[in-house]
Amino acid sequence: MSGSPMRVVIAEDAAIMRDGLTQTLSRRGHQVVAAVPDAEALLAAVGEHRPDVAIVDVRMPPTHTDEGLRAAKAIRRDYPGVGVLVFSQYIEARSAADLFAGAPSGVGYLLKDRVADVSDFIEALTRVARGGTVLDPEVVGQLLGASRRTDALATLTPREREVLALIAEGRSNTAIAETLFISAGVVEKHVASIFAKLGLAPSDTDNRRVIAAIMYLES
Amino acid sequence: MIVPAARGSGRPGRTYPGLVRREWDWLLSHPVEADLLLAAVLLVATVGQSRADPLILAVSTLLVATIPLRRRYPVQAFTTALLIAALQVGLGMQPRGDYAVAALQPTVAEFVVAVLLYTLAAHTPRRTSIRGLCGCLILSAIAIARWPGSNGLHPEPAILGASALLASACLTAWVLGDSVAYRYRVAYYAALEERAARLEAERDAQARIATAAERARQLQERRALAVDESAARLRRIERDLHDGAQVRLAALALSLGEIKEDLEADNDGDGGRARMLIGAAHASAKEALAELRDLARGIHPAVLDRGLDAALSSLTESSAVPVELTVSISKRPSPAIETIAYFCAAELLANVAKHSSAAKASIVVSDDEGELVLTVGDDGVGGARPGDGGGLAGLRERVQTVDGKLRIDSPPGGPTKITIVLPGHA
Repeated sequence: MSGSPMRVVIAEDAAIMRDGLTQTLSRRGHQVVAAVPDAEALLAAVGEHRPDVAIVDVRMPPTHTDEGLRAAKAIRRDYPGVGVLVFSQYIEARSAADLFAGAPSGVGYLLKDRVADVSDFIEALTRVARGGTVLDPEVVGQLLGASRRTDALATLTPREREVLALIAEGRSNTAIAETLFISAGVVEKHVASIFAKLGLAPSDTDNRRVIAAIMYLES
Repeated sequence: MIVPAARGSGRPGRTYPGLVRREWDWLLSHPVEADLLLAAVLLVATVGQSRADPLILAVSTLLVATIPLRRRYPVQAFTTALLIAALQVGLGMQPRGDYAVAALQPTVAEFVVAVLLYTLAAHTPRRTSIRGLCGCLILSAIAIARWPGSNGLHPEPAILGASALLASACLTAWVLGDSVAYRYRVAYYAALEERAARLEAERDAQARIATAAERARQLQERRALAVDESAARLRRIERDLHDGAQVRLAALALSLGEIKEDLEADNDGDGGRARMLIGAAHASAKEALAELRDLARGIHPAVLDRGLDAALSSLTESSAVPVELTVSISKRPSPAIETIAYFCAAELLANVAKHSSAAKASIVVSDDEGELVLTVGDDGVGGARPGDGGGLAGLRERVQTVDGKLRIDSPPGGPTKITIVLPGHA
């Protein structure tokens, strides 16, 4: 279950949580290479230690808003090999969309509560460290909270499901067209139809793509 | 003695027999016509007295002509009349004058002088009118002295009578005029006093209005402070929960989770009861965490700290009905206003999901001259009314705490559009 030992960086401003996580991980044979209280120290630690995975609290000093989220995005951009597990007292679908933008790999987003189920938490962390994705059931609940959307995926045609699968892999429309041997125009039509069936309003194209991908991944 | 109408000073309370009263009232309200009438009466009387002698008539006409001028030029008219009278008394009163001298004889038209003295007393300061009275009395004395009767043609009682008549005519005219002037003055002072009182009252009212306005401004300021402070306090409470109770509880849940897993791994002992207790404690801790999270979110949604746009995005992405969100604001409103806007949007979206049967909804946020305008629309069944359990009345109250407005446009059959206008700050 625990697999090979991971090298972990923890960024969490509450000492009690930082220590608790460090102990839990250490007891299971993982190595916490750094445990820091803010985003700046996090980026420095990641740069220095190149861990397998970083656990990042969203709200950290100085403003206690979304420092962790921004740091997580920076890590994903600058250190693609480092997995990032963002955890937070709250789960916002918006933040999930932000975080999963681009190719969703080596990234996770969990409620802090989930640490209570220790083994599950460690497993999720391991998955992220290995390049997988983890999304809190709460996010899925928020996105699919609409009963209207629950069965939405079922209404997709097989071709649309194929397209959505490729979207979820982070491919562009052009790449999808090449893979499926169809024209870019046809891909666009499929994409539009997918968005319509999933009930995604045309407010923000990028977010729609990501949300559709998340819905696919969680289905 | 008939007192000519003087500036319509007739008192409405006075009673006259029906017909006379009507004429009298007409004269009082038409002073120019009244003067012309008086002049005409005097001229006719003079004609009768002088047997229409043209020269006498000419001089008398000159004298009578001062009457219509008396109101506008009381001093000049009086002086002119007195001069003419003096000429008549000085030149016309000779026992055997020739024709030209005879033309200057005093006539009934001398009555004009009394009328003008009255006018003088009524319209000029007492100093002036007393001089006029003196002039009249002197002239009367000269007239008596030069009267042919004074040379023994008439008995002495007649002379005395004539003197008394002239003097009392002058005095009566002056006293009447002066009493009118007195009434004018009294009325004038009364008017002045009334005006002063009115001004005073107006100043009082204005002072009260200013005080009320100042008070309103102070209250507004205090309310703004209170609203901001309460928003800030709620934010602090949420943050305290986040940094304190929530994180401790999470750490506790982590420890309980560890113990639980250890006990489960350790099968050999008879720790069945301990395992059960720990399992229950672990479950309670997780439930408490979830409840605490909901509570904290209700107190202040943390995502609001990242701005209304982020908060509303989060809200719309978890909405049951697909929502198209447009936020275009140039300046962030105060946190308290953002909070109100957020909770309004949340409530309205919940309404859309619960009551409207809409297929899609929209939220538009813009700012208009410092005001925040939030519009939530849907293509549902419409018919939304405050007080129908949709919470619109509560929303309106919440919006009104900062002088905001809530407009409902929801005809039966839809579509529904609810507009909330909030000030940029409380």
